[in-house]
Amino acid sequence: MSNHKFAVDPITGFLNRGGSLSLARRVIGAVNAKDQPLALLWLDLDRFHKVNASFGHRGGDRIIAHVATLIRGLVPVTAHCMRMGSDEFVILLPGTSLGEARALGQQLAQALEQPLELDGMMIHPTASIGLAQHAAGESLHAFFERADRAMLDAKRQGGNRLVVSGSETFRGRHGVQLAREELAVESDLHLALETGGLSLDFQPVLTFDGRIEAVEGLMRCRVHDRLLAPGRFIPVAEKTGLIVRLGEWSLLQGTRFAARLCHAGRPTKVAINVSRAQLTSPTFLPALHGALICANVDPALIELELTESLVMDESEIVQQNLRRARETGVGLAIDDFGTGYSSLSCLKDLPATKLKLDRSFVQVLPDDRRAYAVVRAMSRLARELGMVMVAEGVETPEQLAALHDAEVEAIQGFIWARPMNEEALLGWLEQRNTP
Amino acid sequence: MTNQQKPAHPVVDELLERSIRDIDIPPRPQIIDRIRHEMHRDEPNMFVVGRLISRDVSLAAGLIKTANSPYFGFSLRVRSVNEALMMLGLDAASRAIAAISLHKAFPNSAHYERFWHTSAEIAALSGWLAQHLAVPCVRADDAYTFGLFRDCGIVILLRRFGTYRDILMRANRDGERLFTAHELDALPTHHAVVGSLLAQNWWLPEIISQAIRSHHDPEMLDRFDSGLPLASRRLIAIAQTAERLVQQATGGSQTREWDKLGPSCLRLLDLDDETLAGLVEPAAELIKRID
Repeated sequence: MSNHKFAVDPITGFLNRGGSLSLARRVIGAVNAKDQPLALLWLDLDRFHKVNASFGHRGGDRIIAHVATLIRGLVPVTAHCMRMGSDEFVILLPGTSLGEARALGQQLAQALEQPLELDGMMIHPTASIGLAQHAAGESLHAFFERADRAMLDAKRQGGNRLVVSGSETFRGRHGVQLAREELAVESDLHLALETGGLSLDFQPVLTFDGRIEAVEGLMRCRVHDRLLAPGRFIPVAEKTGLIVRLGEWSLLQGTRFAARLCHAGRPTKVAINVSRAQLTSPTFLPALHGALICANVDPALIELELTESLVMDESEIVQQNLRRARETGVGLAIDDFGTGYSSLSCLKDLPATKLKLDRSFVQVLPDDRRAYAVVRAMSRLARELGMVMVAEGVETPEQLAALHDAEVEAIQGFIWARPMNEEALLGWLEQRNTP
Repeated sequence: MTNQQKPAHPVVDELLERSIRDIDIPPRPQIIDRIRHEMHRDEPNMFVVGRLISRDVSLAAGLIKTANSPYFGFSLRVRSVNEALMMLGLDAASRAIAAISLHKAFPNSAHYERFWHTSAEIAALSGWLAQHLAVPCVRADDAYTFGLFRDCGIVILLRRFGTYRDILMRANRDGERLFTAHELDALPTHHAVVGSLLAQNWWLPEIISQAIRSHHDPEMLDRFDSGLPLASRRLIAIAQTAERLVQQATGGSQTREWDKLGPSCLRLLDLDDETLAGLVEPAAELIKRID
């Protein structure tokens, strides 16, 4: 390895970022002149911030030094090893084909799987690895970016894997930005859980005869005065497993609000969204009961909202948890109904109490007569099966009229009520009762 | 019950027979929200928070007492709420206020005076142990807060279920089966989950609420890949060791959790039996000072 002459990182003995780029520029020039292949492995340790948080920076440094030793032991003498950031390594491999570089990356991943003892704990560091082969005439910047992007894609797929540039799903600069943003959202979610950044808004579901069928709790996340859109933080929470903690938080807040509505003399059903990770967790039932006990609320005032694909999941734990949840007396609503693959035979056995028709059926009303026919038939089927049928995302009077004609029982949408915070909803309820 | 379905668990019936206004999980003290609100500002104003705390004499006194606790190790003696806030910082102060408010949040808690007394001893010893053993990545005030909140689920369940006292006795006597398994034999939930929900609701740090949830589970303590952060595992080990010391020093807290969790705790804290035995005397001294 020819690492001298450049700035060296004291922990690993590898080149640091500044040294790396100027050396890489020269290596690219040299391989171009000799018409040699050049490969680049970009290695990033998975969840390293957690190692740092658990073991402190000294522990983190020991892992970095350990990984550097592994790398040094496996790479060919012609390789240039660089430390690009706290837990990021780049290995530049002149004269190495894509296949050889891939084999080396896999060897590295395997070597990393050997447990490492730190403070008496066995830890198993894993890495996300991106691999790129230099294309003739490609700039240093574009080459490094391709490898970085492949690494981020490996991370996006759950880490502990190698992705070859060209096969990644992220495209262009925007893709890299996107993966970086996801990591930032994850850290925002942690912060929100500990600093009071989470809240629930509630959107009423109303029947055509003016009754409040339920209110659905919708999670809001605010960090440093920025409101994160659910479309941004929910997928990240699902990917990182944080969704279980967020889900339990929602359960308690939803049940507490149901109790508050009772105390205010307005008993109203509160619907709470439940994720797949929650429903498949062994602590789902104790947490559900825990929330019901803490809030001291009649379970009949609580409704769990689950997606169609989750309810149709035939795994034992899902079906058992659904059955037991239903046995406690809580209602079960199937969200986004009509977009999944429900079979009619499954539908008859479902323990559900409510079907929430997906907004895609509503949006095409009243013009799409075939959609109208499906909505009408579904609404009749729901009634016959003893379930309540709700149409979501209703925005126009024309949609409302069509749904009324189709004998849909209840409506959720901006046309009648927007999501509101607890206080606003209590005020709204008050106003409805005022003649 | 408005639903026609028969509940699976008889306790659900018991649950619903009680008046709806009867018992609730103690709501988050408003002062915690105010402090959090101030912390979210670009330039938090300690004096605004200080004024809010000073309105409640017992809270103010409690905060000053906390800041002067030996495990914070401040050389200066704190005399006012503002000084306490300056020394502790808003984050630690918010946790201290949660701790002070916990006892107050259970209005009928006179029945459980012995329980609170033991919790206070375990909490104080936990704070001391974290500092004395210089446990990596664990703050003494986190260890104190965890010690105090660890079993708060017990009080909620005691107040809710008449049979819970018997369940506790059975769980306390068993040196092999999981404590929470005894609870799940008779109830649909257990105190670790309930306590963790309360901690989350009071915006306690995630490492604390996760530790509360798993504090009776030896597998979660032992496995690195269990998903429980190392800091949470160490918090559990500290409080369990503190409980062991309370048992040895005072004969209080008769559980057999040490039989199940002791070896894992010693390993996590890098302690051996001899060092542990050497801690009994200073622990007894510290407990005397608390009392």
